[in-house]
Amino acid sequence: MTPLIHALACLLVLGLASFLWRGKITLLKESLLILAFFLLSVLFTILAGDLRDPNMELYPFRMLALCLCFSATTLHSKRRRYLVLAQVFWLWVELFGSLALFYRGFDVPWLRLVAIGGIAFGSSFLSRINREMEFCLMVFWIAVWTFF
Amino acid sequence: MMAAGFALFGCRDGLLGSSSGSRKLPTLGDFEDEVRRAVAQGGRGFELVKVPMPGSIKSSLSTVRSQDSANRFGMAIDLDVCDGCGKCILACNMENNVPLVTEDEAAKNRFMHWIQICGGVPFMCAHCGDAPCEKVCPTGAANHTPDGLSAMMYKRCTGSRFCGANCPLHARKFNFNDAQALGLARKFNDEVPQRGKGVMEKCSMCLQRLQNDRLRFKTEVGVAKAAGVPVLGSGEWRGRGVQTACSEACSKHAIIFGNWLDENSELVKVASRRELYAPSVVAGLDPSVVYMRGRR
Amino acid sequence: MFRLLMYIGLAFLVPGLAAVGFAVYEGPVSWGVDAVTFWGVPVSLFVFWIGLAHAGTLLSAIFLALNVSMDRRTALLAELSTLVCLIIAAIYPLIHLGVIGNFYMVAPLLDARGNFANVRSPLVWDFCCIAVYGLLSLLFFVLHLIGGAKSNMLDGIVKIRRSMAWLLFPLVLWVHTIVSLDFATTFVPEWRGAFFPAYFIAGAIFSGLAMVNLLLCVENYRVRLLEKLMLVGSWVLCALWLWNFLLKGDFCVSAFVFAGVLPQFLLVENVRESRILRSMVCFSILLGMLLERIFLVAPTPQVSALAGISDSSRWVDWGLIAFGVGCFIHLFFAVRRWLSKPIENDEILMGDVDEVKESEESASERNARAKYFPPLTTPEYRVLRLPVLFGILVSLLFCIWTVSSNADSNIQVSLISVVPVFFPIVVLVASVILCAKPLWYVFESRARWCFVGVCVLLAGLFGAFYAGGSSMPAASESRETRAEHAEDMNSYARTIMIWNSRCSACHGVDGKFNEKFIREFYPVPQKLTQQRLDSLGLDSLVKVVLKGRVNMNPYGDRLSEDDARALVRYMRSIAPIDSVVIEDSLATDSIPVEVVP
Repeated sequence: MTPLIHALACLLVLGLASFLWRGKITLLKESLLILAFFLLSVLFTILAGDLRDPNMELYPFRMLALCLCFSATTLHSKRRRYLVLAQVFWLWVELFGSLALFYRGFDVPWLRLVAIGGIAFGSSFLSRINREMEFCLMVFWIAVWTFF
Repeated sequence: MMAAGFALFGCRDGLLGSSSGSRKLPTLGDFEDEVRRAVAQGGRGFELVKVPMPGSIKSSLSTVRSQDSANRFGMAIDLDVCDGCGKCILACNMENNVPLVTEDEAAKNRFMHWIQICGGVPFMCAHCGDAPCEKVCPTGAANHTPDGLSAMMYKRCTGSRFCGANCPLHARKFNFNDAQALGLARKFNDEVPQRGKGVMEKCSMCLQRLQNDRLRFKTEVGVAKAAGVPVLGSGEWRGRGVQTACSEACSKHAIIFGNWLDENSELVKVASRRELYAPSVVAGLDPSVVYMRGRR
Repeated sequence: MFRLLMYIGLAFLVPGLAAVGFAVYEGPVSWGVDAVTFWGVPVSLFVFWIGLAHAGTLLSAIFLALNVSMDRRTALLAELSTLVCLIIAAIYPLIHLGVIGNFYMVAPLLDARGNFANVRSPLVWDFCCIAVYGLLSLLFFVLHLIGGAKSNMLDGIVKIRRSMAWLLFPLVLWVHTIVSLDFATTFVPEWRGAFFPAYFIAGAIFSGLAMVNLLLCVENYRVRLLEKLMLVGSWVLCALWLWNFLLKGDFCVSAFVFAGVLPQFLLVENVRESRILRSMVCFSILLGMLLERIFLVAPTPQVSALAGISDSSRWVDWGLIAFGVGCFIHLFFAVRRWLSKPIENDEILMGDVDEVKESEESASERNARAKYFPPLTTPEYRVLRLPVLFGILVSLLFCIWTVSSNADSNIQVSLISVVPVFFPIVVLVASVILCAKPLWYVFESRARWCFVGVCVLLAGLFGAFYAGGSSMPAASESRETRAEHAEDMNSYARTIMIWNSRCSACHGVDGKFNEKFIREFYPVPQKLTQQRLDSLGLDSLVKVVLKGRVNMNPYGDRLSEDDARALVRYMRSIAPIDSVVIEDSLATDSIPVEVVP
């Protein structure tokens, strides 16, 4: 997968994230949306990546995690809690994915793991998340996604 | 209920241990028949890919911490010469006291043999430098010796069969039955212990022969030192002159055993002139047992 | 009703127990296994039951942590089912083992032989996580029961319950992630999947929800939220199956039908409203997930005929399944009957009990939050972050110990391999610290002693794991005496050679111990000093050499009596050298040898 397409995935996710948690939040609606996003990421992975590459096994899940991170910034209440949870979900996907891949002979992307873990830990201390802070977080996530 | 369970597995030892009195022993003919049958049934071959010479690149993945070890034993099997006769299997069985299997198991092609003829070629444990079986063994019963062998510590094996599940070559055999109690095992070689029920086993690269040679060498060096006689060579053991049972038994000299890190060993001399191959499933795991074909 | 169910459970349990007994006695040969896949029904059942065990903590801990209101009865039932499922799930791996008596070697502790379990193995992680999870869910359940029983002492308990919930929430997910890694870290083509953690957790939560819904049907009770979640779960699983199919091309049709298609009937109002149909849907989900687990563990064609059970399996497979079902039904409803008072005691307030408590509590918390606290003294810090910090410290120490213990035994433990055991230890330490004080004050004096007793028991367990089983000397068999290597040597040189080749592996070339070898395989033998040899006498020493003693193997089949006598004399001659340090490279050489059982 080329870096450009990888970055495109980030853009796609950013676009999708804006559809989540709009209006009244109901369980069925949101879960259907998330599932639809997941299927879209699956489609994207199939079209853009080589399924025989073990790194791709994780790809739709990583996209979904990033999507949840982005969308958590649009929440109205309990934003800090869900921001941290979304980032922990991302960390979890990456950590155990790379652990499984490590046993099949791939290197562990420590930089990415530490970056996500660090920002998740740091954001658990944020008392008020304003527009600027959200923007900073999003820039940071995009940076982690595209460069690490 | 747990108490009942514990009582039960307590008596598993007692009952089976005591039945050793009226044990009938299989004859050599039984073993020969079984090998013939195994060769005839055969197995599906593995796809072979080219690999560099083992020990030529120091793998960063290797499980062995002491990379400075002087020995790394391995084998090269000559595909141009081997005709899959199965003599190596019989020799291996007798050297390592490999038991027979029941009729039922044999029909399903599940032999205990440490060497299998798959696609007309003998396959055994590749003694990978980065062995997946050793990584997943919970107790450390599957371990790596400083000599580059993937060894097995039977007493520490809990029989979780994780290593067997994780071996891409399916080279590990599990003792589903108590072969001694069923009269399927015979001790041809005193130096190799018979494995009990519930324990994993596999090719040990005739570890006992290597150990005997090492002890002989060290003792001779020790005696010579004590007597004040100068020691020949570096005084370091390189396992020269040792043969595994299978390589000894091969009349066509298709299996060559040696030390990959010793330039003077026959193995390195022969292998450096040939193209080396390994099954694609273990090619990335730094195998010590490779296959030769054609000239370089 | 419960009594009837207990009898039904018993009807499953009795043949199940017979199967378990047979399986334990006969070993893995008794159930349908394959020489290539090696794993059979017990592993599938383990994964299945450990998945069901997620429901309880999921419902009460995660919902509590996320402020989703859940009534006490549902939460208690779910927690109870968690405990029972965990007990069942813990039995299956034991049945699965080939040498059950060696199971203690999986505990990641240093043992008396200086051996450390291989921390790189997912099974070791499993052991840690499940042990911690079992302990803590028991604690959580007890806290819940006490919280209901003694309203006057509620305050402290409710507070730590919420903190506990925040600790348990990640732990639940962690446990099943680790279970999924049993598969995902291997080279088996069908288990190829870095996404397995998500896949397994989705499956676990889904089946757990089905289980709770089924139990609620039995109680004639329903929680709409859980049904919706179950429906969503089926969609999630279908999506994951799709991804699995796209990657590897294997697909379990029967699981898809039972757990993917049939649950969609919940969308039909008539089905949803009928108690019997609802419970049938829940049951079909459980069945589908069971088939899915069996298919996952053994995906070979002959085994997957009916996604599992076909002619290659035996009655034992069915018996093992029946054992789980029967054990669950019997145990669950027995405890349910026994605890019917605390579980049903606030029938009238059902549905809003916890909410009332919570709103009070959160009000007081809000008041507290409004105040200003200097750094590091906030209640949040004192209650939750400080124990967690302490847990992290302990865990770090453990990891350093692990890595350093493995350093000299050829095992290269990489950093990421200790990550899976890191978190359970953090949680264990943190929650013990968290609960110790409030629980101590809540209990009466007798219960305190019980608590101390449990601690002593745990310490004893650690001790037993440390000491390990005894290693018996190999049974002596009649074999003809074999001559040692060289025949043409004089007798003294020959004795030295025998000593060096046969004895020195344990006793060392110089009569000291070859420490490295001994630590790996056997307990340290007696030190051979002059005084000791004298006190034993020649004859008894010869006898020890020939017949063996405690951990020493008998050599009667390999040595003649004359050789043994000469060896004892040689031993005497080298014994005084004991205190003198001689430079001998041989003594420090490690010699890996296969242990003679």
